[in-house]
Amino acid sequence: MDQIAHISPILTALLTVSAPLLAFLYQVVRGKRDQSGIISLIAITISFVCGGLTWLSIWNKPTISIQLAWFTIGKSTFTVGLLLNNLSTLMLLLVPTVALPVHIYSRAYMSGDRGVHRYWMYLSLFCFAMLGLVIMDSLLLMYIFWELVGFASYLLIGFWFTRAAAAQANKKAFLVNRIGDLGFLIGLAIIFAQFKTLSLVDLFGEGGLIYQCVLINGQWVSPVNSMDQIWLTLAGLAFFLAAMAKSAQFPLHVWLPDAMEGPTSVSSLIHAATMVAAGVFLLATVFPLFNDSALLFIAIIGTITAASAAYFALGQYDIKRILAFSTISQLGFMMVGIGIGTWDAALFHLTTHAFFKCLLFLSAGAVIHEMVHLKEHSRLDFDPQDLRNMGGLKKYMPKTFILMSLASLALAGFPLTSGYLSKDSIVISSFEWALSKGGLYFIIPICLIMVSILTAFYIGRLLFKAFFGEFRLLGQLQEGLQNHPLHEAPKTMLIPMFFLGLCCLFPVFSPNPLSYHDSWLMDGLLLDEYTFAPSHLAHLVIPLLLLSGSIIGWIIGWKWYVHHKYPLDPDSGIQKTAFHQGYINEFYERLFVNGTLKLAQFCYWFDRHVVDALVALVRFIVLTVSQWSVWIDKYIVDGFVNTVASAAYWAGNQVRLVQNGKLQTALYSVFLLVLLGLIYLIFF
Amino acid sequence: MPILSLLIFLPLLATALILALPTRYKSSYKYIALIFTAIQFVLAGICYANFDSAQTGIQDLAGYQFVEQLPWIRLDLGAIGKLEIDYLIGIDGISMPLLLLSALVMLMAIGASWKIQKSPKGYFALLMVLNMAVMGIFCALDFFLFYLFYEVMLLPLYFLIGIWGGARREYAAIKFFLYTLFGSVFMLLIIVGLYFSVINPLTGAHTFNMIYMMNPENYLGESIFAWDGYQEILGISARLVGFIVLFFAFAIKVPIVPLHTWLPDAHVEAPTPVSIILAGILLKIGGYGIIRICYSIFPDMAALSNWWLGLIGVVSIIYGALNALSQKDLKRMIAYSSVSHMGFVLLGIASMTAEGISGAMFQMISHGFLSAALFFLVGVLYDRVHDRNIYSFRGLAQIMPKYTGYVAVAFFASLGLPGFSAFIGEAFVIIGSFNATSIGTGLPRWMAIAGSIGILLSAAYLLWTLQRMFFGQIRLKGGESWGTALTDLSVREQLILFPTLALALLLGIMPDLVFSNLNASVLNLVSIIQQFI
Repeated sequence: MDQIAHISPILTALLTVSAPLLAFLYQVVRGKRDQSGIISLIAITISFVCGGLTWLSIWNKPTISIQLAWFTIGKSTFTVGLLLNNLSTLMLLLVPTVALPVHIYSRAYMSGDRGVHRYWMYLSLFCFAMLGLVIMDSLLLMYIFWELVGFASYLLIGFWFTRAAAAQANKKAFLVNRIGDLGFLIGLAIIFAQFKTLSLVDLFGEGGLIYQCVLINGQWVSPVNSMDQIWLTLAGLAFFLAAMAKSAQFPLHVWLPDAMEGPTSVSSLIHAATMVAAGVFLLATVFPLFNDSALLFIAIIGTITAASAAYFALGQYDIKRILAFSTISQLGFMMVGIGIGTWDAALFHLTTHAFFKCLLFLSAGAVIHEMVHLKEHSRLDFDPQDLRNMGGLKKYMPKTFILMSLASLALAGFPLTSGYLSKDSIVISSFEWALSKGGLYFIIPICLIMVSILTAFYIGRLLFKAFFGEFRLLGQLQEGLQNHPLHEAPKTMLIPMFFLGLCCLFPVFSPNPLSYHDSWLMDGLLLDEYTFAPSHLAHLVIPLLLLSGSIIGWIIGWKWYVHHKYPLDPDSGIQKTAFHQGYINEFYERLFVNGTLKLAQFCYWFDRHVVDALVALVRFIVLTVSQWSVWIDKYIVDGFVNTVASAAYWAGNQVRLVQNGKLQTALYSVFLLVLLGLIYLIFF
Repeated sequence: MPILSLLIFLPLLATALILALPTRYKSSYKYIALIFTAIQFVLAGICYANFDSAQTGIQDLAGYQFVEQLPWIRLDLGAIGKLEIDYLIGIDGISMPLLLLSALVMLMAIGASWKIQKSPKGYFALLMVLNMAVMGIFCALDFFLFYLFYEVMLLPLYFLIGIWGGARREYAAIKFFLYTLFGSVFMLLIIVGLYFSVINPLTGAHTFNMIYMMNPENYLGESIFAWDGYQEILGISARLVGFIVLFFAFAIKVPIVPLHTWLPDAHVEAPTPVSIILAGILLKIGGYGIIRICYSIFPDMAALSNWWLGLIGVVSIIYGALNALSQKDLKRMIAYSSVSHMGFVLLGIASMTAEGISGAMFQMISHGFLSAALFFLVGVLYDRVHDRNIYSFRGLAQIMPKYTGYVAVAFFASLGLPGFSAFIGEAFVIIGSFNATSIGTGLPRWMAIAGSIGILLSAAYLLWTLQRMFFGQIRLKGGESWGTALTDLSVREQLILFPTLALALLLGIMPDLVFSNLNASVLNLVSIIQQFI
């Protein structure tokens, strides 16, 4: 053990990050020749082991960082470096811990796909980018990995690129994320202008530059520069914009439901557990930058996101979309956690959420896997992801059912699960926060409590519809299910799911199933002090309220969906709006997409018919002027010359008449000349 | 070894050789061109390897490297004084990377010309003359010499577009020629004005030496461009007029909105190799000219007018990107994207911060070979089916997987994906121009923010194109026959593309390869301009 303990954490951290990179490069070189993905699997296992070792040697111990000069521009040198502290190593552990089961699961789930070599390539790239993102010690490098993560996500969403919907979805995801990237870039520019460095250690480390800033007379003054204090708020908002896009916060959440076009294993890893949490991670990293107005804005957006996404989740029929909206909603919770200043709680929820949401997706994937098989065998045409085609699957896939139920309980925040601990930590803290502020601030905790109950309801709806009652396609299958039986997912898929199921239970995170304060994770990230006082009453009342609300929700759901006593009109406006996701996509399409295209077309029209027309006008004017000058040249300048010449010619011709050899004419001419001479002499 | 002279005039030797060889051996022309360009590339590489990055350059001749100075024209003009024109060449941190870039892009252009059928003799001879001219431009330190190369460059380009171009080639060639000439004719006036204003402190003669023009002490007190004696042209400060005229001469090359309309036409009509040279080298001459001449000779006026330069940059970025978004012709789209990307160069230069100017230089380098790669990729498609309409293709990824891979990498590299070179350029232009307010250069922060919208738009048009042409089910305008004509990339094509895109990756990961050589010169330039802020 001593030997292992002596391995430098920097080395293990580097190994964690570089193993997937090497797997990616290997897959790039090998291309189609290696379809097995075994190298990617080995790489992520190495990452898992090394990430674990790094975490062990860093957790609750002093921060380690190294920096090397990367390049110099002007007088500023940019560094490349690692920052290993509790926050980053927690992520370094979390990412491969989720990614490893997903890799194993994918071996079965993706087998037989024609482009599976690309799948492994992209997946390794993603793991590399995500791991790089969490341990980089420079905002510039974080930004680089931040975009790389988005790029890997683009590739994976569009994995089945022959599908038009997938090609649309990945473009949408990248563009929406790009909006966030601009926020990141501008945040970066503000930080650089203010501090002349982008190193996290220099900025946010102990006694870092950010803590040396003061606000004087409306100026935000750092040791090296000062600017108007509005830029402090703007810097916070710029980074939040980045997080909004990556973590799918309202109103930039629209890409995430569409991202479900990717393979389900991808959705579980990237669009549920890790990448979308990067926004929360970023905000936790730059947390000291936020002032009160930025934090309040974050909390408000988080609340809106949590509420709206839960509402949209209620109206969806696609099993993956429900989970996608659930992810968005939970990310909203995390944002509230950041916004109220308890980023440790947000990180705690991020961690527990990663496990149970990943499991939910993998279970959904197992269901979809079976439904797709059924579709292929029976030659029926139906949507394998639509809840309305499922039902009664409990009978055929009992293990999947149990695991999915466990994950659902964790999502709903049922006691004894990890979700109970982490969700309560946010809801209770938000209540305490509101207590310290009073008044309208209570809207946020109240919203969160309602959303929590809604969460229990919609996930219950999913379970009831998919696993209870009768299989709805039974009537359409000619020979029943005898010839194409639905059965449990293969072991390669079940084992990783089982592992994730274990991680949904409380002992993984806290010895005390009822109090999040005892969690090692919260302990390790513990902030020096919260800005508000704890309330013991809230610790008692809120969990009870949530639990009873959830149970009532489930009873109603059971009646509605299992006993088919559905009392509501599915065509009502409220339900349709939920199904159409609040018509936000349509609104964006009309306003932003079409607006931009119209503007682009106008610009091109302007370019052709105004800018280029001006050039053509110049050409026309020059040509016209030159035609005039040709005319002038021909008829006036040259015309004068010609006139002179023809006059001389004419005169010569006239004079020529004289030379006809007759004496009379000659004398006559002489007389005329003498006469003319006399007239000249007399008169002039 | 006069390495720069060798670099400049080697292509002339190639021209002579090509012209001397009878048409019987016409298949050898391209090899001659290739070999000579390859030698040039090696020479440029040697320059790069032996380049001392600590030397400052800009206004200090001692800070230039590989300098060659020969008296060239000496005329006693009596009352006007002595005419003094030197053959003065040398490079500093600003010209070094561009020189190497030119050699590389030329190599790519030769590679793209491999299948030229129409009178290869004239074609390669002209290409080599062009090669000489651009190398000369980046090395010349005497304004007369610079102008000479600058004008010589136009001639081969005119014929290359006008003879080997597409359907409307003559229109495009004339438009291009006149547009550029329009700028450079007025430039000549300023050159003459500068000549009469500047005195060589050693000989007392008037001089075309650019280095002397950069030193305020060499100006005659009462001369037109004198620093202290205030002169006016049409009621405007003479130095400002000089700056503006020179700026527009180069800005046409960059090109800026609204003087950009020659570019889409020239690109669309030009054959692929000429497009590559246009985008890869020609546009850079604009940016180079602004830094080397406008900013270095008129730093006071640069400090005065940078707000407007920044505005033009921002407008170019957004306007070019919007235009690219509405194109149906792939080549025209990339042409407009060049306008947008070169806008970043202008914005970076206008910021007058070390970050901004370095970012602008980096953007020029990066755009140089990336746009060359993009035009090459368009050429690949056009070679096969003679169509460039975006809507004529769909689902190409299934027919041409390798091609799609290269296109995707090139697109993502040019939309500024981190890890590729364009990202470093654009990010530092944005950071630098954002920082400008703190330095006090008068460039407002909103320009940086507005410029960043261009980054979003470039993702929009490139990804949209990727989706429309490469993803989805196969649907080709030409049907079955296109399906067979659209073969995947050949070895030659990959041999050209792979190093280019690898370079984009290399510079994206190790930007110091460019920055380290650039830094001393940029800092020197910034410190010169700083005095006037």
